[in-house]
Formats: sequence, structure tokens, C-alpha cells
Amino acid sequence: MSTVNHHPESSMLVDFSAGNLATAPSICVSAHLHFCNQCRNELLRLDQVGSNLMSEVEPTEVGEHLFDSVMSQIDQLPESDTAEVSSTSDMADSRYPLLVNKLINGSESVPKWRRLSRWLDVAQVTTGQNEYEVALHKICAGGKTPRHNHGGQEFTVVLKGSFSDEQAVYKEGDFLSCQPGDVHQPLGAQNGECICLSALAAPIELSSPFGFLMKPWLRINPM
Amino acid sequence: MLGFTIKLVDENEEPSKKTVLLSTEKRSDQWSMLLVSVAETRDRRAFSQLFTHFAPLLKSFAQASRHEGWFPGLSEDLVQEVMIKVWQKSASYNPEKASATTWIYTVARNCRIDMLRRKSNTQHLPLENEDFWHEADEETPVSLMRQKRSEDKVQSCLARLPKEQDEILRKVYLEGKSHAEASNELGLPLGTVKSRVRLALQKMQILVAPEFRDEIL
Repeated sequence: MSTVNHHPESSMLVDFSAGNLATAPSICVSAHLHFCNQCRNELLRLDQVGSNLMSEVEPTEVGEHLFDSVMSQIDQLPESDTAEVSSTSDMADSRYPLLVNKLINGSESVPKWRRLSRWLDVAQVTTGQNEYEVALHKICAGGKTPRHNHGGQEFTVVLKGSFSDEQAVYKEGDFLSCQPGDVHQPLGAQNGECICLSALAAPIELSSPFGFLMKPWLRINPM
Repeated sequence: MLGFTIKLVDENEEPSKKTVLLSTEKRSDQWSMLLVSVAETRDRRAFSQLFTHFAPLLKSFAQASRHEGWFPGLSEDLVQEVMIKVWQKSASYNPEKASATTWIYTVARNCRIDMLRRKSNTQHLPLENEDFWHEADEETPVSLMRQKRSEDKVQSCLARLPKEQDEILRKVYLEGKSHAEASNELGLPLGTVKSRVRLALQKMQILVAPEFRDEIL
């Protein structure tokens, strides 16, 4: 039974279903879907909308040799193309969405935890786009992260454990969307570390007096 | 009864004679059965029937794209890529979860993104597009009845949507515009675009009104 309480807004799922969502937000939506039965069902029905619209279009005749061309390409296909990624990084976890493990293991540079503060580690992953910085964050049990403002949109999915902010408690699979101007202070749950995946569009601003000390590490660095 | 028969003929792109007599359910299952047959016995005849039906639809779908960097010359490339994927991935098709048409739509959508990404991106992306739609193993399929019911609901509601809702859905799904792009293009506030889509989805019972969401699901 799904216990996910926080979901992406419906327009994001629609854009995802139509294939119009940018890579980094798509990664977050996809990670959420792994945990969320409700959104998976919604997506299935959204795909039906796309498929109905596609099958209603006036068909266009294809070139007469197209079928033969497809068949000859099929005849040249290698037998099997299933290359499983072997788990190399201990950052990967079998309970994570496959795509997250692939990002961790398939990055050009192996992601490594970097300490941002006593309570917070970050590991950037390569996603081949430059609009968002995609990273894993680890909040220690009971950890306090700096209170921060969002200069740009940020999407977060909880992969493991839980954290809370002024608004709510976020557990495995929960999806958060922070708009520019939102201020919050995530706190790690007491009973264990919390790992999140996030995509951040622009640098966040720290609103605590000593926040500037961390600024250099929080600069956006898409890769 | 007459109305019903005409509707069937109308919707049916296949010129075949017998299909007119088949029930709607059988007819839509026809593609699914062919696809299963491709998966199980590598049935080339079945594949050729799927090709005859879907390739022209896929070509139109490709031509509808208004993505930046997309041009009509790519349309047949997309058709080929999709049909090859259909052959390759047919084993992962689960008829209990979706109709063949819906499954092929998802393959087409993914191929379209892949082609756009290959064109615009030189950087390394450790993911293939299908990874984004990878399903959890423990997935419990929706019952065939429920899936069928929801497909019918979507189909009949789509046909009766007010013009302004239909227009946006087409922009989003066929032209490939995001909500934000559609709002720019139509000169409408983003909120209006989102609420029109939401209304359409509620009619199709895809989206449960937020206040009922928790009770129903």
C-alpha cells in the first residue's frame, strides 16, 4: 500500500506523459512514480489521452519501402540488448528507483559525498543537461539544515528516511516542489538518516546570518 | 443500433470487412493480440499488420510535433525507430495493463524525446529514455475490465470536450508544448491553461478533484 502523501501537481504529470517535461524534473517525477501507485495509475490514464489523440489524427501514407527498410534493420539487430548496470557505488540502493541507481553508477565522474555542514552531505550526479543541478542530499538523523530561500524552482523526492520542515513531514517517495521565494528549514528525522534526490534550477539563498559561509558550496553547478 | 454501426465503421481505419461486426472491445483487442503474437512467436505477419495500421498514424503524430529543432523530414525516421522498438520491446508489453495503442503511443513519445535529445545534447546522459518510465517489479496490473472502462471513458470524453480544452490537450500531446509554452502561444495566463487541462482530466475521471482524492484512491 502506498503511503506517499505529497505528489507532483497534475500539470507536471501531464507534461511528463506528453514527453514535454525537461530532463531534470522528469528524473524527479520518475523517481516519485517508483514509490507512488496513485500517480502511476494517473499516468497510465494520461497516456491513454495521448494514445487517443494520436490515433485520431488523419493517417499519413508512408513511403512504400519503409516496411522493408524496417524489416531489414530488424534482421540486423543483435540478439539481445539487455545490459544491466552493475552496482559499483555504495551510494546505490536496491530499493531506489532504477533510474537513480543508473545515475549514480553511470555518471561520468563517480558521485561522492561532500560535506556541506555537520548535518548535511551532497553528491552531484551527471545528467547531461544544464538547466538544473541534480544531486543527492543526505541529512543526518536529527540534523538541522540551514534555513534557505529558493532563488529558482526546486524539486525534491525522498528516497530513504524522512525529514520535516515548517509545513509537513516528508517520507519515502514524497515529492516536494519549492517555488522561487519559498523559505524553509528541513530537519532530519531522529530515527535515521534521510536521503533525497533534488533538481535545483537556480542558486538557493541562505537566510540565516551565517549562511554566507556555505554559499560557495551551494552555487549551482549543473553537469 | 444503426448509429452504433456507423460509429464503428467511422472509427475503424482498417478497411477490413469483418471488423464491422465485431464489438468495440474485440476490435481494440485485435491490435493487442497481434502485439502479443509478435512478442511470443516473433510473428512477422502480425507485425506487418501492426505496421500497416500504426505507421501512418505515427507519421502524422511525428508531423504534428512543433518541438524546437524538429522538422518534417524526421517523421519517417521516427516511424522506423518506433516500429523497430515495438519489435524489440514487444516482450515487455503487458496487455493487462494497457491497450496496444496506448503502449505504442508511449514508445513513440519516448522515441521522439530520444531523437530530440540526441539532436540537442552532446553531453553524456547515463540514462536511456525508457528508464524514466521503468516500472516497479511488484506492480499489480489494473484489471482488464477497469483498464477497458477507463480507456472508453477517456475516448468518449475526449470526443465531447469543449473546444478550448481540446485545443490545449492537442498542443500538449501532439505538438509537444509544455503548459508554459501553450500559455505563451495562446496568450493565456498559465493558471488558465492549467485549469482547462485539469477540467478536461476531471471529466475523463483521470484526475479526481483534490478534495476527494484521498477517499477514492
